[in-house]
Amino acid sequence: MKLKIVGSPTERIEGPEKVGGQTLYTADIKLPSIIWGKCLRSPFSHARIVRVNTEKAKKVKGVLAVLTGADLPPFRVGLSLQDIPIVAQGKVRFVGEKVAAVAAEDLNAAEEALSLIEVDYEDLPAVFDPKKAMEPGASLVHEELPSYKGFHRPAEMIPNVFAIQNWTAGDLSSGFKEADLVLEHTFHTQLAHQAYLEPHAAVVAVDGSDRIQVWASCKAPFRLKEQLAKQLSLPKDHIRVHIVAVGGDFGGKGSLMDIPICYHLAKAAERPVKMVMTYAEELTAGDPRHPSVVRLKSGVKKDGTLVAREAEVIFNSGAYAAFKPGEIPNLGGATHATGVYRILNYAIRSYGVYTNTVPCGYYRAPGQPQVVFAVESHTDLIAKELGMDPLDLRLRNLLRDGDKLPGGRGVEKVRCRETLEAAAKKAGWKKPKAGKNIGRGIGVSFRHVGGSGEANAEISVAPDGKVTILTAVPDTGTGTHTLLQQIAAEVLTIPPSDIRAEIGDTETFETDAAPGGSKITSMSGQAVLEAAQEMRERMKTTAASLLGCNASDIKLEKGRFMTARGAKRALAFAEVARQASKENGDLRVRKIFQFKSRSPVAAFVAQIAEVEVDRETGFLTVRRIVTSHDVGTVINPLTHQGQIEGGVIQGLGYATMEEVVTESGKVVTANLGDYRIPCIQDLPPLQTVLVEDPAGPGPFAAKQIGENGIIATAAAIANALGDAIGVRISDLPLTAEKIYFALKSSRSAA
Amino acid sequence: MQPFEYRTPKNLKEVQQELKQFGADAKLVAGGTALIIMMKQRLVRPTCLISLSSVRGLAGIAEKNGALRIGGSTTHREVETSSLVRRRLPLLAETYRHVATIRVRNMATVGGGLAHADPNQDPPPTLIALGASVKASSAGGSRMIPVEEFFTDYYETVLKPDEVITEVSVPRLPPNSAGAFLKFLPRTADDYATVSAAAVVTLDRSKKIFSDVRIALGSVGTTPIRAREAEAVLRGQPVKAEALRAAAEKAKQAVDPISDFRGSAAYKREMAGVFVRRALEKALEGFKRVKSAPSRQSKRRGRR
Repeated sequence: MKLKIVGSPTERIEGPEKVGGQTLYTADIKLPSIIWGKCLRSPFSHARIVRVNTEKAKKVKGVLAVLTGADLPPFRVGLSLQDIPIVAQGKVRFVGEKVAAVAAEDLNAAEEALSLIEVDYEDLPAVFDPKKAMEPGASLVHEELPSYKGFHRPAEMIPNVFAIQNWTAGDLSSGFKEADLVLEHTFHTQLAHQAYLEPHAAVVAVDGSDRIQVWASCKAPFRLKEQLAKQLSLPKDHIRVHIVAVGGDFGGKGSLMDIPICYHLAKAAERPVKMVMTYAEELTAGDPRHPSVVRLKSGVKKDGTLVAREAEVIFNSGAYAAFKPGEIPNLGGATHATGVYRILNYAIRSYGVYTNTVPCGYYRAPGQPQVVFAVESHTDLIAKELGMDPLDLRLRNLLRDGDKLPGGRGVEKVRCRETLEAAAKKAGWKKPKAGKNIGRGIGVSFRHVGGSGEANAEISVAPDGKVTILTAVPDTGTGTHTLLQQIAAEVLTIPPSDIRAEIGDTETFETDAAPGGSKITSMSGQAVLEAAQEMRERMKTTAASLLGCNASDIKLEKGRFMTARGAKRALAFAEVARQASKENGDLRVRKIFQFKSRSPVAAFVAQIAEVEVDRETGFLTVRRIVTSHDVGTVINPLTHQGQIEGGVIQGLGYATMEEVVTESGKVVTANLGDYRIPCIQDLPPLQTVLVEDPAGPGPFAAKQIGENGIIATAAAIANALGDAIGVRISDLPLTAEKIYFALKSSRSAA
Repeated sequence: MQPFEYRTPKNLKEVQQELKQFGADAKLVAGGTALIIMMKQRLVRPTCLISLSSVRGLAGIAEKNGALRIGGSTTHREVETSSLVRRRLPLLAETYRHVATIRVRNMATVGGGLAHADPNQDPPPTLIALGASVKASSAGGSRMIPVEEFFTDYYETVLKPDEVITEVSVPRLPPNSAGAFLKFLPRTADDYATVSAAAVVTLDRSKKIFSDVRIALGSVGTTPIRAREAEAVLRGQPVKAEALRAAAEKAKQAVDPISDFRGSAAYKREMAGVFVRRALEKALEGFKRVKSAPSRQSKRRGRR
């Protein structure tokens, strides 16, 4: 079947509204008598709260509520492990933790009140380095961890470790025995922030019978509703979450953040409360990407065959694990410790560790950019030791159809070789470089289409033939609703402009999917596809009775219903819609797509970076990046390319400049002047190669793209750097200063 | 941000009256690009802002007796795009072009930038290397202050509370002179410098001997720093690579950087040497280009 609308570059439905400033974000929500909420945050990394005096704060004109830990129920909240108090109770565990909250008529009064709250702290010994935190006798961030709801006792009790995961295959020791060469390297990655445009924001209104309404920069409204019901002990039907546009998510907008305290302030003040985090609060107390320590040990044969791998992945979770969902609240990225390689004997161990620093959360492919940086750097180091071309070493060891990944999931229709070879061809891998100090490096990885729970869609057709898709999936900036529009337009063969998306709320459906893991195009897309198909069949019946033939003889083409034998008589879509509405009333179809299991079809990505180093300063110029993607049917080439480019840019920032710097646990890069992300002038030419294979598990055989741009970029750049100057930097970011001093010490060593 | 009075005097006399009335609680504001952020962060909490934007005669660029006179309220963007500046002192236009973004340069003023006295700013090293002076006026009259002597510490200057920067005066360069400004931005193009260096070189008639050199650096101390010993190494010396290297070594000794997110103190000191040498080299390249047009090179930020 030739696709007409799916596959054609389609502009965003919401584009003009966003550009025109009409789109409502949480901070734009205005309610009668709304007031502001603000939090006082801890200046200590780890301290006992001895005394809090709020008397002066309460007297500030315009202040309507002041709450401290003592005023709140002893609840701890969290997506899986419920370890974070709504406001600190008893002690603080990181600089930036909420100690008190104020609601006031205006922001000035709230800030004035915060400055008048007196808190006495008693400093406690703190831990910042995750490896030191795991040592016997280390000071504990959470003494009462075993008593927390959602805690699953790991196989081994190690100080400050709340999660341990193991994945093994084959026989590791015999694997190492088989090896001609065993190499071990350790890599470190930094704390990094999602740097979305919109900081976390929440509006909560509570009525006299404790019914609450929430507007929030939250990508998961239904999970939010469920969590609030559970964690605030409210009946579920008392909570309504409105869906507002989310100004960038990148994984970070799934937690509760300020919503519970906003609820308590609204309840105490008996007024709707708005809370908008400043960017300083985002950087010091958001939910950034975990720093990691990744140790890899590999056994390899002389011919380059990888025969054994031992991996230890330590994710520094910061002071809490509350922002991570999943039964074991750790990051899935650790399963990538074997990379895209077929290694028959491996043992991966991953730890989630508490330290007295900002609690971390999800960020675009949780844990994967960290581990892929380590694995792909390690791969190049092995190639160097063997004297092999890094491309050849990779090609020798790639996954094959039917191989099992850590966790037991299989992979099918593996397109890794094609993707990598296409990248190498585009990059001119074997061609000579333009000069000295120029290097090329490869990064390869993959993602599966995500999914969980169920997705809903309702399609209705008005008597004038205009179609509405009802969904309760928020747009986080990815163009989700435009894709749904395209899918419906493809099935109904009408112009996309005749289809609009209506965004419901948590009353619209029982539940709905939330963006994450590239699941929406697949799940909501499938629900829309099925609803549109059923609508088409229903309208065919009406058309058949009008045309006096069987429904099975009717086809729908270019927005016209006609008999299969010829277009003698054809009925316009709107005409059938009008007739059908007259006969049957509402033309409305609801579909639920239930996610059952992940498809074994993955989408691979291979990136090749070319860099040049200024030896006098260590300055690294990324000359170009080739990004090669294993794709299925591309539903919207515009948004697809947008995901790739956005991902690569974030990957470039992660590789070369971004770092939330902490000193004794305190975030010192507390504004976007100090925490830098790439700007347009920093971007190298990007060449995209799409290796097409319409065999994905999504609608119209689509594969996912959301995370593929970011996962291997740091690895490719680090390897290019190694190739350019022969010096390996094993901790991100690859700053000019690190390169400068590494070059200096390599010179003095030589 | 706390509430504040906002005054819009029309002339310097009215500015003085407002300053007298509100005393130390008042702040002068021009473009507001630095002050408003500091107020939002509650680092400064003035109860009155006295705007200079309606004060007549404070903006504009003119040439008088060979010197460029730039009004205190002239925006960065005006300096950057002025055909007069580009013709007379392309280095100055080039330096102002390096400041922040167009949005900021459209608002930030020359006088406001200097009064803000952030040692990471771009214009001060160039102004020092060009031998510029600041004209400050108060009720008691006005005085000229060399830019080199203007800064005393982080965000501190010799300005008295009742003084307003009305003008920056940049003298004409002697014949056989050329200059360069380099800004090292190892993280992102949209950042303050890790190190910046300005050099103005005057050669003798043979163009083989340095008759005068002025070198200044930014981002490597509590104020912009003039590297006098580095200059002394070159004065009267033949134009040779060894001399430039020796000057760079001296420049490293002149700086006193702190460690921050743009680099450690040790790294910035090393880079001070590299960028002083490169600035000198770039200035000397100016002699090779006969009657060159103002540099229209891409914004390479002194990387190479």
